[in-house]
Amino acid sequence: MAEILQILILGLALGGVIALMGSGLSLVFGVMRIVNLAHPALIIGGAYITYLAFKAFDIDPIAMLPVAAVTMAAVGVVLYRLLFQREARSAKYSEMTVLLTFALAMMVEGLLGSLFTNTQRVTSPDYATAAFFIGDVFIPKGQLYAGLVSLAIIAALSLFLKYSRLGYAIRATTQNREAAELLGVNVQFISVLAFAIGIGLAGAAGSLVSFVFSFFPAKHWEWIAMLMSVVVLGGMGSILGTVVGALILSVVAAFVGTWIGATWSTLTFFLALFIILLVRPQGLFGEKPEMA
Amino acid sequence: MTVTLQDSSASAVIEARRTYNEKLSRKTDQTRATWFPLALLALLAALPLLQFVGNYNYVLHLVLFTASYVAMASSWNILGGFAGYVSLGHAVFFGVGGYFSGMLLARYGISTLITAPLAGLVAAAIGYGVGLVTLKVRGPSFIISSIALLMIARILFDNWHFIGGANGLTLPTNDLTVQWAKLPYYYAMLAIAAFTVWSAYKIKHSKFGLGLRALSKDEIKAESAGIDTRFYKVVAFALSAFFVGMAGAVWGEYLTYLRPNIFLLILVSANMVLMCILGGKGTIAGPVIGAILIVALNELFVATMGASEINILGTGLVMAIGLMFFPLGLVGTLARSGKLPRILNWD
Repeated sequence: MAEILQILILGLALGGVIALMGSGLSLVFGVMRIVNLAHPALIIGGAYITYLAFKAFDIDPIAMLPVAAVTMAAVGVVLYRLLFQREARSAKYSEMTVLLTFALAMMVEGLLGSLFTNTQRVTSPDYATAAFFIGDVFIPKGQLYAGLVSLAIIAALSLFLKYSRLGYAIRATTQNREAAELLGVNVQFISVLAFAIGIGLAGAAGSLVSFVFSFFPAKHWEWIAMLMSVVVLGGMGSILGTVVGALILSVVAAFVGTWIGATWSTLTFFLALFIILLVRPQGLFGEKPEMA
Repeated sequence: MTVTLQDSSASAVIEARRTYNEKLSRKTDQTRATWFPLALLALLAALPLLQFVGNYNYVLHLVLFTASYVAMASSWNILGGFAGYVSLGHAVFFGVGGYFSGMLLARYGISTLITAPLAGLVAAAIGYGVGLVTLKVRGPSFIISSIALLMIARILFDNWHFIGGANGLTLPTNDLTVQWAKLPYYYAMLAIAAFTVWSAYKIKHSKFGLGLRALSKDEIKAESAGIDTRFYKVVAFALSAFFVGMAGAVWGEYLTYLRPNIFLLILVSANMVLMCILGGKGTIAGPVIGAILIVALNELFVATMGASEINILGTGLVMAIGLMFFPLGLVGTLARSGKLPRILNWD
């Protein structure tokens, strides 16, 4: 019993972080129909910002989170202007943007690789290796803090989307781009904004990831399928769905990892992605897909 | 009152249409330069003669490497270019082909040059099975599922001890001297590349190819026009896996070792996509031109800057620029503006 509880707690804590990693991906898809394959690469970008600050000035990774988020959001604005604005009218828009973000992912990987080499990095604040003990069950502090911060950020994002005027506009654009434009929403501006928030979330996730996982530039290929499976399970574009999907898959992966073997826990995500795409492409909370 | 069509007038119409069609096909025959790829092939076949006057192993390696990518990109083009399903997981079939023939070589000593077609068939069978499942979704979902396929295959190959796991497998080398050791693989890869390009041409000009192009434009309309789209797509997937598998088989013996991190690399898939996009998706000459360009560019990056990270950065950059400014590729863009030189018109 204690073992099951233990696995459950570890899975949920990691699930929180994965939810934050996926939420930006989901938001960007919802508003702009861009499947951003470069998202994990940009998360790693955020992780390197945090890592550098930690190594050079000993700044706590969680304290560094806002800086990483804002920096990456700025990067997001630039990327949107450079890459996606002109693609908006192309006939095969969604397919085009997938390939374009794929190219972007390679560029980010190559850039980070030539700047920082492909060595495994990790930030090591005190709490990264410490743990709470409740009876037999231990809760690693690093993962707990990261999970809690992630869920707090996602809660703030949900409140913003639900109650602010910009949030209305973003949700309206997600639901129906043309109708939103007709009702006076500046869809161009909302797209840039949502893209910046999405990439900003990647930066924020990067800060947390920096002490939860070890990372190197080529790591993002493992994450893309993992995040995709989370986002697709929840329903592309739904933030709540992403959280639920992340928690479910992360717990399942934790059980698979403990009972079957650590190498197979990542396989859970990939197989899940495969199965969900084929059985229920719109996911748990998604609308009927317009991907076709 | 019924209108009856007289036999004579009907046959006159058919006759007129036939002569018109013949005139058209004669015209395309005149603009097409079939002699050029044949001359190129003959030239490359004669290239190893250089070995008599010096050591040109590097040149042979480059041609062999390019030929392997010509085969793979042309093969990818069948699914990605003709049918419009972009797959980022085709490295899986490269790996399957390499490992299947490589295992036969390691266990029974049968050269991959003989078993390559078999490896292609195994890859095609797996492609058929995978296609049955993943071709239900299209657009971005299909692309994502193909990445997931590659990731799954990578984990399986990394942990399958029978085939050496992540450490891979060393294959026996042949007994030829250094001067001539590359030759068997050189000719095999050249033959595979030529066969692939020829097959792509034949497929494009068959009824099957016409169906593929129809379903890439609009699948629902194609379906209602009587095309069995599901069957067409799945067969296209299997075909495009076949040639990649063959190239993988020969490549494995040429390298003399098999390792998941050589074969099951997303960069390999990305290169196939990139070559087709850069050269021109859906054209015959496009993947060939693309392969030559990318290999040349790769060598340039490696020679001038060395680091493989720069290489990844460069590949991504070229891909992004190609996608944004020349979505039709070199051949496609030139053909649209009517400036395609005759020697590149192989369609």
